[in-house]
Amino acid sequence: MSQPSLTLPTPGQQAGRRRRLLELLGAAAITATFVFLVLTQPADIAGGLGSVSALVALGGFLLGAVLLIVAVLPTLPTSTVVLMPVALVLNIVLGQLMGTSGLPFYFDAIGTVLIAVLAGPAAGAATGALSSIVWSFINPTVLPFAAGAALIGFLAGTAARYGLFRRFYLAPVAGFVTGIVAGVVSAPIAAFVFGGTSGAGTGAIVSAFRAMGDTLLAAITKQALISDPMDKAIVFAIAAMLVYALPRRTTFQFPFVRRFNVLAGKAPAQRGA
Amino acid sequence: MNGDGAARITLRAAIGSFIFHGESTPALSCVEIEAAPGRLTAVLGGSGSGKSTLGRLLAAWLAGGRDGVLRGTLHLDAGGDPEDGSLVFSGTDDDPRIDPAAWADHVGYVPQDALAMLSGVRGTVEEELAFGLENRGAERAEMVRIVAETARRTGLTGLLERDPATLSGGELRRLAVGCAIIDDPGVLILDEPLASLDAAGARTVMELISDLLDRGVAVVVLSQQVDQLTRLASHWLVLKDGGVMAAGRPGQLLGGDLLAGSGVVVGGAQGPRPVPATSAPTAAAPALELDGVSFGFESSGPRSSRLLQNVDFSVVPGEVVAVTGPNGAGKSTLLRLFNGLLRPLDGEVRVGGVGIAGVPTGIVAERLGLLFQHPHDQLFERTAQREVLFGLDRLFGVDAPMKAAAALASVGLDGAEDVHPHELPGSGQRLLALATVLAREPAVLALDEPTVALDAHGFERLTAAVSAAAGRGAAVVIVTHDLAFAQAHAHRTMELKDGVLVGC
Amino acid sequence: MTPRFHPLTLLAAAAAVLAITTAASSWPVSLMVAAGAVALAAATGSARRVLLAGGAILAPFWLSLLVIHGLFYPEGRTVLLGFGPARVTAEGIGFALDMGLRTSAFVLVTMLFSFSVRVPELVAALNSRRLPPQFGYVLASTLMLAPIIAARLQKVRQAQESRGLVVEKGLRSRLNAIRLQMVPLVLGLVHDAGTRAQALDARGFRRPGPRSSYREVSDSMGQRGFRFCALLLAAAAVVLRIMASYPGGQS
Repeated sequence: MSQPSLTLPTPGQQAGRRRRLLELLGAAAITATFVFLVLTQPADIAGGLGSVSALVALGGFLLGAVLLIVAVLPTLPTSTVVLMPVALVLNIVLGQLMGTSGLPFYFDAIGTVLIAVLAGPAAGAATGALSSIVWSFINPTVLPFAAGAALIGFLAGTAARYGLFRRFYLAPVAGFVTGIVAGVVSAPIAAFVFGGTSGAGTGAIVSAFRAMGDTLLAAITKQALISDPMDKAIVFAIAAMLVYALPRRTTFQFPFVRRFNVLAGKAPAQRGA
Repeated sequence: MNGDGAARITLRAAIGSFIFHGESTPALSCVEIEAAPGRLTAVLGGSGSGKSTLGRLLAAWLAGGRDGVLRGTLHLDAGGDPEDGSLVFSGTDDDPRIDPAAWADHVGYVPQDALAMLSGVRGTVEEELAFGLENRGAERAEMVRIVAETARRTGLTGLLERDPATLSGGELRRLAVGCAIIDDPGVLILDEPLASLDAAGARTVMELISDLLDRGVAVVVLSQQVDQLTRLASHWLVLKDGGVMAAGRPGQLLGGDLLAGSGVVVGGAQGPRPVPATSAPTAAAPALELDGVSFGFESSGPRSSRLLQNVDFSVVPGEVVAVTGPNGAGKSTLLRLFNGLLRPLDGEVRVGGVGIAGVPTGIVAERLGLLFQHPHDQLFERTAQREVLFGLDRLFGVDAPMKAAAALASVGLDGAEDVHPHELPGSGQRLLALATVLAREPAVLALDEPTVALDAHGFERLTAAVSAAAGRGAAVVIVTHDLAFAQAHAHRTMELKDGVLVGC
Repeated sequence: MTPRFHPLTLLAAAAAVLAITTAASSWPVSLMVAAGAVALAAATGSARRVLLAGGAILAPFWLSLLVIHGLFYPEGRTVLLGFGPARVTAEGIGFALDMGLRTSAFVLVTMLFSFSVRVPELVAALNSRRLPPQFGYVLASTLMLAPIIAARLQKVRQAQESRGLVVEKGLRSRLNAIRLQMVPLVLGLVHDAGTRAQALDARGFRRPGPRSSYREVSDSMGQRGFRFCALLLAAAAVVLRIMASYPGGQS
């Protein structure tokens, strides 16, 4: 038996470049889809809206999400990959509970934000996208929102990278901003694919704006701007609470946490309560 | 591969130091170990002594750079050039990065929690065994052959179609070993291979290990107990606080008093130390009473099929009662009836003379503290002190901090107030969970298998805490499979067998 | 039991039906597809589960649609009923029906797919198609983890109640109880995940190169042909719809 190498080679340049390309293509697909949808939104929805918009929204966002997943997943360390199912179950269980509660919130991104804070924007984006795809086995209506979920993970990771999780009060602020962006991106899906929203609570808010004469997309976007920032502020705060409850030996396993000093330098215990 | 014997491989390691990221003191320092073909080496040490860390470093489950800063050398000798396969770590970024999969071809590792070895995404035992082969892209015919051969060696042949989630403790341990030896590594490291197995389970694992030794595999066992397995070892390495405390032949080390301060439990060698609380108290109203209690998980079944039948039981203040019985006899079910987590089908449970029917468990818990086996399920605060303090102010007001400190001291965790509960060693986590219950000063204390996974220090503190609680007038019920412990520390021992509780 | 189909055949069929339904965008087609999905579910014996799961998703969705479009539809001309700002219009009801049926078809077809596909087979099929093995792992692990997590949450709750933690009424107390249960649950799961990652690495999870599968997934020429045709048909439907919308100018 010949002795194969016991050590890992340095990662090849070419493979890295191909993945980078896939990542860029994924991001481009999502951006292009959004721009297309906003530019071509039909003025009058009565004339059989949405067939093309729905196809483009579904196809473009889904393609982008899948490209992101395929590009990012192989680069992640196993410790992150193994955490993803945990994050996904958190997302799905809490999201499912919230969906039936009638409140205009979603709560379906706690796991995504948790991963993003521990492992960075790319991991967060992949988790968000995967979350939607796996959840669609149980609830297919979330499938088209994969791109929005990926964006939330990406933004949460970016916030963590620039230290917004080092102070407990900054996390909800980052969540609020993320919510604004995510709401605007997800609204066209709700409008063109579903013609409304899937929850009773959010539906009531949309009705109110429609009563004032808004177009469907405008009404849904405004509803999203009411629900999403609040929702994400709470979600970011909960995720921050969970991350700070983890022992340091666990959080420090993640190179992203060590490299960008994501969490407050001292153990939270020494900061007092 | 998978011929008559594994490749004869010697693993030598000299760990200068290993420090986990974010910590200042090394988890290991100045440890040298050699695992030679066909020889059994035992690494002994108390909880938190660094033996699991050592095992994981040897198996490349922990990697310098990723998990911490490693200084030292690892050397795999397959009989060729001695320089070949030597890896030197100096704690810098230029250190070699071990490929865990390639390393595992030569050095297998089975963690203490066998479930953690499994991928968790395969529905049958055979597919779980094949996981490592699939990742190599092995041909299906070859996979079938290797899986069958490994199943034969680990005694899993009859279980290949089973869902891994339904296996018993011993079967699970053998499956984990099977997953580790599927590639026929020359070195195998086993972390507490006999922990929490009953006699039958332990025997099958012992047989498997001696078969591996016969095939020329170098076996390293990590254990906090001197037991039937570790007594077979040709060499012992005793660790304490991350350093070598003693090393040598088992006979030498057992003879002297060397193991005393190490925290290693020496099975059968400990003299019985009865509870100091003089004799059993008698004339007093029972603190806990079960009156004709029956229970079964299916309420409609015939009476004879019930798990517990017409159980009468009582314990008075200051008394320590042990309940023993084989696995699956319903010991844990009995405990859950005490505080209303399960409700009896017939009969009544009374705590302090008052029936608990209809009283929520959280309220019963004010008078009856129940401690389960897994501390992970109970601890949620950021420090040990906050953990014990939680909810105490409602019971004791301004005295709460004092009571918390006293409870921590009673289990020997004074000095660890600011440690994250999950960063305490296994023994410490269990003691902390005990402290959270002790601090509330319940009238009845019920403990589920309190001795499992405790090292010698933890064992002493547990017995001291139990007798102190009995001394202040608490009734104590201990459920354990450890008959020796029960007889040494309880006023009365009862056995639960076939649904009936009998005194003995 | 009907003969087992290759998981990718099921996936291709579901995807094609969904693409064609969306492209057609007419309520009779949607209704037909939804009814077809239910009929197929009945034939394979999963009608009850498909209808229950689908109903749980679709009921609030329909309610929301009818509130939004049934009562407020500023573009509507044919007013059927009017009270105050709310006007029930024929166009609004029509739009709600259109959207509701399309989504119902979407949900029912997907539910039928998820109840008929065997996840281990799907994962095996995806792995041998050289998708990143991590994808199959996350998919399978999430679906297998749910019951484990539920059992674990139950244990956490029992252990804490036995420790004397009482969940009182009132929002504050309940929120606190959620924190007390979430933290040990997540901590425990993250801890387990750390060990599992090391185990997976040692077992070659990150090895480069192709994977093989111990589980045999039966496939046939016929099924391969069917998958090809289904995807071709779906693509044709999408292209036709886009061509019909643009040059003609009718959206």
